[in-house]
Amino acid sequence: MLGNLSGYRILDLTDESGFLAGKLLADLGAEVIKIEPPQGDPLRRRGPFVGGKSDPERSIVWLALNTGKRGVTLDLTRARGREVFCSLSRRADAILETAGPKDPRGLTALGVGYQKLRAENRGLVLCNLSPFGQSGPYSGYRGSDLISVAMGGNMYPTGNPDRAPVRCSLPVSYYHGGIEAAIGVVFALWGREISGEGQVVDVSRQEVMGMPNMTTPTQFPFTGFKGGRVGGGFRGNKAFFRELWPCKDGYVSFALRGGPARIPGILKLIEYMDENGAAPACLKERDWQKYNHNVISQPEVDEIEAALAQFFQSKTMDELFATACERNLMLAPANTARQILSSRQLAAREFFVALDDPGRGITLTYPGAFAKSSLGGIAVRSPAPRLGEHNAVVYGELGLDVDELSAAGAI
Amino acid sequence: MLFDGLKILEFGGGAAGPLGTRYFADHGATVVRVESRQRPDFIRLLRYTPGDPAGLDGSHMFAMVNVNKLGVALNMSHPKAIDVARRLVGWCDVLAENFAPKALAKWGLDYASLTTIKPDLIMISTCLNGQSGPDRNYPGFGGQGSAISGFNHLTGWADREPLGPFGTITDSLSPRLVALLVGSALLHRKRTGQGQYLDLAQVEGGVVCLSENILSLSGAGELLGRIGNRSRHAAPHGAFQCAAEGDDDDRWVAIAVQSDEDWQALRRAMGDPMWAAEERFAGVEGRLQHVDDLEKGLTEWTRPRLALDVVGLLQQHGVEAGLVSNFADQLNDPQLAHRQHFRQVEHRVIGKHLCETNAMRFSLTPESIRQPAPCLGEHSEHVCRDILGMTAAEYETLRSEEVFV
Repeated sequence: MLGNLSGYRILDLTDESGFLAGKLLADLGAEVIKIEPPQGDPLRRRGPFVGGKSDPERSIVWLALNTGKRGVTLDLTRARGREVFCSLSRRADAILETAGPKDPRGLTALGVGYQKLRAENRGLVLCNLSPFGQSGPYSGYRGSDLISVAMGGNMYPTGNPDRAPVRCSLPVSYYHGGIEAAIGVVFALWGREISGEGQVVDVSRQEVMGMPNMTTPTQFPFTGFKGGRVGGGFRGNKAFFRELWPCKDGYVSFALRGGPARIPGILKLIEYMDENGAAPACLKERDWQKYNHNVISQPEVDEIEAALAQFFQSKTMDELFATACERNLMLAPANTARQILSSRQLAAREFFVALDDPGRGITLTYPGAFAKSSLGGIAVRSPAPRLGEHNAVVYGELGLDVDELSAAGAI
Repeated sequence: MLFDGLKILEFGGGAAGPLGTRYFADHGATVVRVESRQRPDFIRLLRYTPGDPAGLDGSHMFAMVNVNKLGVALNMSHPKAIDVARRLVGWCDVLAENFAPKALAKWGLDYASLTTIKPDLIMISTCLNGQSGPDRNYPGFGGQGSAISGFNHLTGWADREPLGPFGTITDSLSPRLVALLVGSALLHRKRTGQGQYLDLAQVEGGVVCLSENILSLSGAGELLGRIGNRSRHAAPHGAFQCAAEGDDDDRWVAIAVQSDEDWQALRRAMGDPMWAAEERFAGVEGRLQHVDDLEKGLTEWTRPRLALDVVGLLQQHGVEAGLVSNFADQLNDPQLAHRQHFRQVEHRVIGKHLCETNAMRFSLTPESIRQPAPCLGEHSEHVCRDILGMTAAEYETLRSEEVFV
């Protein structure tokens, strides 16, 4: 099945922080070649593992984020390995890497920097996703997800007021950064279509965490609001509002935000509560058409929210969400993976795919394409590569002999 | 610029769609945003209170999201407004929209109809649940997207309610996916002449990013939950409180020790206090097992120190550390300043304000912030006359019939 990026070849040198970039480009049809050191990517040794037992071919995080890629081994610390890399690079359209400027694993540090590669391939694109970018006062700093989320300003406002700022337990800066790097590749390929020239794209993981703050830092000069934590809720001009509510068996998200798009949902929720005998006067007698969350006072919010809290606790997540979908209540369950896997909406869209993985002898359920195109063409095409799975075919295409490379310690 | 000559027409509101087209606007594309006073973009109303003299043009968030765009007001309940919209479709290369699915179809602006006007049209729709399925019309914002796709459940403390992450994360993942999809579709059209229709369900985009969450259950039978700042593979890994600065006693440093080597480096940076030399902390398994004591010891060390001093010292020793930066810190961050992340523009109503750009720097084709966000309908006449080629009389007739409100 052809995709928007069919015919483009991308060399993927990323670590965990950039896995998603190549995965998305592969979903769009690009030929993405994941290059690992001969001993394998370190993430292969991180659990959990399919079957529970430590096995470099069965690491969940490796399997989850490297679908659709071909996989080769290559030792870039050896001269012969670098020669082979240069041959690959001559036939590639783009390279993805995740090394900071001082990282000894980076192409520049290894003596195969962009200028050298470009001399033999004028259209080559290099996209580098690093913790802080390739230059600037912090560019030599180290930083995994926790540091990016903290320094990008998204951790300080997340959390309960009586505890430390907190991050998502999975690495969201790798997701934001992975997509941004994929955009960088596609945009630079567009530039090349016009000018014939490749270029370097420098993506900062600290900087990608700016957008998630939804303009609140740039509003600081007007609001003086530094982002103090309010738990699972949000701040209006005069009051704090709860957004995540315990129900019988979990949590749901619902907020008393106003505006023409939201008020019908609030009215329908009150109607639903009333049918259950759970709508007190403070809900029924208010003129909701005039409701504005920037005007209402905290005692009024507290009175309304007490009724909502009591009602939500009498219902399950499924009951509330089923009613929400029926009546457009603008309420949603804080889903676990189990609930996501059993979603009727995702089932109807045939979102999840069972990928046969004969090389490993397993078949697992994966999230499918991240979007749908009228041309088809966006799909999770194959499971993540086994270590060196495509050495013979990829190096064979270059006219190289795998046994010779192996004997030379290059792969 | 990279996208000089590219023409994008945009319907919708909020951030999930409009921040996606910003990528192209910042790289030179002409983006025409269609709005209406009849049903304003909800972010124009976020901080709005009745009687505000700035009216619908005083929203900081709207101004910061929509720089570099032109704004047209079209009253879509007027049939002649739909004609204008169709003429704009004939002009554009890309139509981007993030309404609920029924909206554009109601106006006859569905993809199949529009390809009769523009056969190679690229169109992208992004809504909460996608364009098909039983819950397609369920209206939702980022709050619902973050909850349904699993981010809320995974964020916060194990003994407390789920939290953010702050900023309703599908509202920032979705625009990035919009930019990626449209960019790839432009490459495809350039090579084949073919347009396409793209359907991005914000929930699905979020679930794909969280593939590890799904595979942990479907592949290993493990249901992930929220674990605060801790890591299942490394310790210490968290935010540690530092000294108050003036009356601000909410200063924190994030520290991540990935290996035993990092732990040795952290000990050296701290001057090797006695508690840290304990044998039980020497290996990662011991540090994970005794993580409460480990965090207590580290907090005692950070608490009297200034956060930025801790960051500088630890990074000097090769240990991952960073300021837990608040919104004021963001504006003073030297690295973000070096990358010119924040730019200034002057909005006609708000005055001078900062806005952000994306996180990519291109060696040959830099982005630029050229003009402020439009006031509602600010460019209606310019777009109708200079882009669509209407005569003054034609524009005036439509205006007097209240098409542009």
